[in-house]
Amino acid sequence: MKILVLNCGSSSIKYQLFNIETETVLAKGIVEKVGMKGSFMKYQKLGEDSVMLEGEIIDHKVGIEYILGVLTSKEIGCLSSIEEIEAVGHRVAHGGEKFDKSELITDAVIAEIEEASELAPLHNPANLKGIYAMELLLPKVKQVAVFDTAFHQTMPAKAFMYALPYSLYKKYGIRRYGFHGTSHKFVAKRACDILGVNFESLKIITLHLGNGASAAAIKYGKSVDTSMGLTPVEGLIMGTRVGDVDAGALTFIMEKEEISAATLNTLINKHSGMIGITSVSSDMREVEEAAAAGNERAKLGLDMFHYRIKKYIGEYAAAMGGVDLIIFTGGIGENGTETRAEILTDFEFLGVDFDKSKNNVRGKEACLTTETSKVKVMVVPTNEELVIARDTQRVVETA
Amino acid sequence: MKVLPIEKFGLGEMDRPKVLFSKVGIVGCGSVGQSLSRMFSRQGIEVVFIELTDEKVKEAYAGIEKELDDMINRWGVTESEKRAVMKRIYGSTDCKNLAGCDLVIEAVLSRVREDSVELRKKIFKNIEKHVAKDAIIATNSTTIVITGLSNELEYKDRCVSLHFSTTAPESRTVEVVRGLHTSDEAYEKVIKFTKILASTVIPVEESPGLISVRLFVPLINEACEIYMEKVSALENIDEVMKSSFGLALGPFEMADKIGLDKVVRWMDNLYSEFGDMKYKASPILKRLVRANKLGRKTNEGFYKYDEKGQKMKKKSSRKE
Repeated sequence: MKILVLNCGSSSIKYQLFNIETETVLAKGIVEKVGMKGSFMKYQKLGEDSVMLEGEIIDHKVGIEYILGVLTSKEIGCLSSIEEIEAVGHRVAHGGEKFDKSELITDAVIAEIEEASELAPLHNPANLKGIYAMELLLPKVKQVAVFDTAFHQTMPAKAFMYALPYSLYKKYGIRRYGFHGTSHKFVAKRACDILGVNFESLKIITLHLGNGASAAAIKYGKSVDTSMGLTPVEGLIMGTRVGDVDAGALTFIMEKEEISAATLNTLINKHSGMIGITSVSSDMREVEEAAAAGNERAKLGLDMFHYRIKKYIGEYAAAMGGVDLIIFTGGIGENGTETRAEILTDFEFLGVDFDKSKNNVRGKEACLTTETSKVKVMVVPTNEELVIARDTQRVVETA
Repeated sequence: MKVLPIEKFGLGEMDRPKVLFSKVGIVGCGSVGQSLSRMFSRQGIEVVFIELTDEKVKEAYAGIEKELDDMINRWGVTESEKRAVMKRIYGSTDCKNLAGCDLVIEAVLSRVREDSVELRKKIFKNIEKHVAKDAIIATNSTTIVITGLSNELEYKDRCVSLHFSTTAPESRTVEVVRGLHTSDEAYEKVIKFTKILASTVIPVEESPGLISVRLFVPLINEACEIYMEKVSALENIDEVMKSSFGLALGPFEMADKIGLDKVVRWMDNLYSEFGDMKYKASPILKRLVRANKLGRKTNEGFYKYDEKGQKMKKKSSRKE
């Protein structure tokens, strides 16, 4: 079965075409600057060099039409006809409280995604554009929505509620939803496969550390807590997002700086995190370089970043009554040897016997603890597209 | 990397409309033109602005950059967003560069009303020489009616009046006026453009001052009356209006921000259109403008401002 996976942003479309039986990526790429001057598409067929396609891409529908056109072209394509695509999987940012698993897209599902747009005004409308376009271009092909929030829907109310007036939860759905769900689920399951243990028998902490970062507590196969909340701003310190902060500080800043809610949103999403603290960069590699060269603020930023993650590990171990497995993933989790070493230092009390000699791995599956370590620590590269493709296959076959 | 044209990879004959409003022109790049350039470019639109001299082009670039720096300091945009915004703005003294624009907005400044109408008519005609026949030509002026400006054009049906509020950077409303000649097609296009800007269209009939200026003018005039009658101090009047009606700025603060010369021009235009005394510029305003105390831009208007444009605190006032 050939499955096309789409991840539509406001001005971009990431795509991967899978042969799901063999789990191989037949082609992948990205359409950028949709609706802007200088739009283009990158395309890479399995085993071949990337090709750049330039020209006017007015909207998501035209972008997706070109993706289909390229995939089926005689010159550079990999499909003999468009009918070979049997299903399309869409990444959808916010499923609200309605979706705890991936869903076959129907009019009712679309209406629910539209409703959840209020909670993810930047992401859901873009995801919907991809869904609408596919309905027009491939009307007979089944489409599946895979939600970033779905995996965390198993969180108990004590973890997902804010201690704000309950009426606000009822009125607007103000609660914690969490994100990166497909990634947390994928790496946790994959690590269990590698270790040959049952996913539903362990207490796992997953750390998805990229430019956006989140931690999740997974107890016996279910997410019981995660660091991101109503929006992706809560939790760990990120490249440009603030993470946990006293809400009182925010109202204080609004008053002192005389700024609106929209500007405060920019402040906590784009001016904060590593770039805000260090003034060096939102890119961890550049911050590490600056710290190595003696930049005190870069050192402070790194200290804060590591400390916050350590705190979350402790919290989640306490919340689950222990931990068996800690997993690093995402750009920094997979490649940041320094970050991992700093975080794993002094965790012996928890049962982590970190083996520094195993830490020098980048972007590969690895175990970072000794054979006898009570708590295992692993690096597992994430693959959200593969999860979307697998879920799409499962949903389509059982529909 | 191999580079190919994407057009040949479409799925047969599909309806593929051209991208509209990927390039927009602005003629006259004073403070309003600068704000419009910044606003449009932030939405990914390429902007060409036209000024009279190279010196003025340079000034406009500097003004836009300063506006963006102020926004960075106020947490509104990031450094990298600023770089991207500046990259999409191109200033020139040659109207030929307006070729390819889907929309050109006139935002010039003129001191005398009669000159103003004639000057804008000339500009409209000149713009028409350089753009496609279906390109929209618009004015940002509120007090000059669009039908008058479009009368002498070859394709009059493409003209509209578009008033963006540049006094509040986060304002998301645009007053849109159809002239007597404006076609449905042109009007629909303009609605599309405002959607790109994530703005709300406020349809307004052709009437000098539209809503914003016509309501603001009597407010500031009355505020001046209250002040002249010594009913209360400047800052008290502003404070009461801000706290009672939830305004971000009081009438005097707002007038200083807009520029007192501009406020007086609005008043002169409205007074000459309606003949109603409520629009006649208050003597205090006239006096301040004569003394070149034009508001924030000259560091003094109703209030005094420091070099960073921050209002200086008075040492003593009636407030105490």
